[in-house]
Amino acid sequence: MKKKLVLMTVLLFGLAVIFASCAGMQAKPTEANFKSPVITLESFEVPQFDGYYYYSGKTKPTKGKAGNHGSPLPMSFLFNVNNPNSYPVLSEGVKFTVAFEGFDLVTYNNEDSIWIPAGKTTQIRATTLITTRSALLSLLVTGGYKLKAKGMNPWQAMEKWWAGVSGYTTPVTVHEGAFVFKADGVTKVLPFKATFP
Amino acid sequence: MFFIRVKGEEPMKKGIFLKFLVPCLAVVFLVGFSTAAVAKTIRVGGIMDTTGATSDVGKDYALGMSEAFHYMNDAGGINGKKIKYTWFDYGYRIPEALTKYKLLKRMKVVAIMGWGTGDTEALSPTVNKDKMPYVSASYSAHLTRPVDWVGKDGKKHGGTGYNLFFSSDYSTNARACLTAWFDKKWPKNADYGKRKPRFACCYMFPSPYCSAAIKAIKDHATMLGFEIGPDQDVSLFAIDTKSQIMALKKFNPDVIWHGNTTMSVSATIRDAYALGLGAAFIVNNWGFDENLPRLAGDAIKAKDGVVVLGATPVKFFGQSSDNMDQVVKYAKKYNPGIPASKRLNRTPQAWGDALVLWEAMKRADKAGDLTGPGIMKKGFETMKNFHIGLGAGDVTYTPTDHRAATACLVPEYKNGKIQVVEFVDLKARWPKKWASEWHGW
Repeated sequence: MKKKLVLMTVLLFGLAVIFASCAGMQAKPTEANFKSPVITLESFEVPQFDGYYYYSGKTKPTKGKAGNHGSPLPMSFLFNVNNPNSYPVLSEGVKFTVAFEGFDLVTYNNEDSIWIPAGKTTQIRATTLITTRSALLSLLVTGGYKLKAKGMNPWQAMEKWWAGVSGYTTPVTVHEGAFVFKADGVTKVLPFKATFP
Repeated sequence: MFFIRVKGEEPMKKGIFLKFLVPCLAVVFLVGFSTAAVAKTIRVGGIMDTTGATSDVGKDYALGMSEAFHYMNDAGGINGKKIKYTWFDYGYRIPEALTKYKLLKRMKVVAIMGWGTGDTEALSPTVNKDKMPYVSASYSAHLTRPVDWVGKDGKKHGGTGYNLFFSSDYSTNARACLTAWFDKKWPKNADYGKRKPRFACCYMFPSPYCSAAIKAIKDHATMLGFEIGPDQDVSLFAIDTKSQIMALKKFNPDVIWHGNTTMSVSATIRDAYALGLGAAFIVNNWGFDENLPRLAGDAIKAKDGVVVLGATPVKFFGQSSDNMDQVVKYAKKYNPGIPASKRLNRTPQAWGDALVLWEAMKRADKAGDLTGPGIMKKGFETMKNFHIGLGAGDVTYTPTDHRAATACLVPEYKNGKIQVVEFVDLKARWPKKWASEWHGW
């Protein structure tokens, strides 16, 4: 009896080890077999729209402290990430810059870890936010000359964009984008850019 | 303790269990959990400006910092422990930096990579109370004196023992730039020996960064015998500075210190050229990069263009020096959508700060004390002439002095190229003043 029990235990253990090894060997990621995931911008939305406004620090607020503040423009991007590999892939972060009409407004970044199963598509949402204050500063220090060359001032540009982006008529571009993927120690960084609509 | 029992059989004896099942289970546990057991992750935080008033230089720095941490992990992390680097954009808003600091503290980071002077100085009492190593892109001299001290005017200053950076500080940069112009450019002036050289400053008055070195450079100008003219307030967002240039024309300076970032520095140089001011510019490091000649155009590039010297903590992106190959490699690998031609010296600057923290963490970990105080006392403050490459000076920190470097390389743009004017070592040239007078401001 004792012999039977011992044999059963050893057999079960042996099978477990064999199965585990096979599972590992079946889809061992390598630099050579790691196919690039396919990224597409599925949709873009403005989750909340509060109109266009700006208060300078000289304006007395109804409550709270005065300061240079402006209306927010939250932006949410939904990406489809398809994993063509026969093993799961880990997305370890994404970054991209949002631009309207060639003007960079914000650089988004996260280091979230999200698994994408073998042969499946996972949706990854990235939400960021600008305000008329942050956009003003960004425009002035990185796009001042370009605006001037186009005969525009930042206020005109922002008023147009706030209406156009929330109404989905102004194209929103994500560029300088990069997803970082990992599979068992192998890293792949995938650049991307897209425009919506 | 559980025993496996088959119906109708005698309970298994403990001896058999111990002989076979326990070793089997032990192997399973070892195989299954060994990776998790060794893969300890150390968290480091970042507070960056990619959208605010200094995003013209901050975005490239933020990208470079992230790339540097990827490199560190690939190169073994902290003695085998992986580093998880998490950064946020705070848009150069001090209240936002404070909230991000609180968030990072809750995330149990062991150190933080910071950005601007205003927020770093505002956070300094907190990080020192929390014993949180804070490695900033602000090189304000106010952050270099670890122990409480009293100024000549009797004003008390709190020590900044947990603030660090790898570079020469802004005051050292300013003194070095003025010295280089005085040594190399002033003797070539037609009025040399006939009158005092004339000096003025352009900077955004309310900005802690822009104004950080003003007291020091005026002290230096007085020491070297300059006549000092009226300061001009130039916003970080300025693209039109004609009124400031017209005001400067009345004083007719020979050399102007500009304490802003690249965009507004280029605007001032453009207007100075267009209005024939005739003065040379010496520029703090955040206003002197690959973008400056692009933005200033003919004002720098023309044969009769403005003479522009600047402080450089590291070589420009991709220029030959040790470790620069890794900087370029990781920029290409982790931000393949941004061409090398758009990268700036802000990337190697970020690596400079990242590399000193990495070394400090490795030393602290080796000493078995990867905590804030451990990183500081068993890490940073054990570094003596630590070489980081990238064209930066070797780095030394002591428990009483966090001025990492004593010297500054001052090049200029000339004939479309960047050329060295002078390497100014303040400690070597003015050892007494360096030791007892010029510390902390």
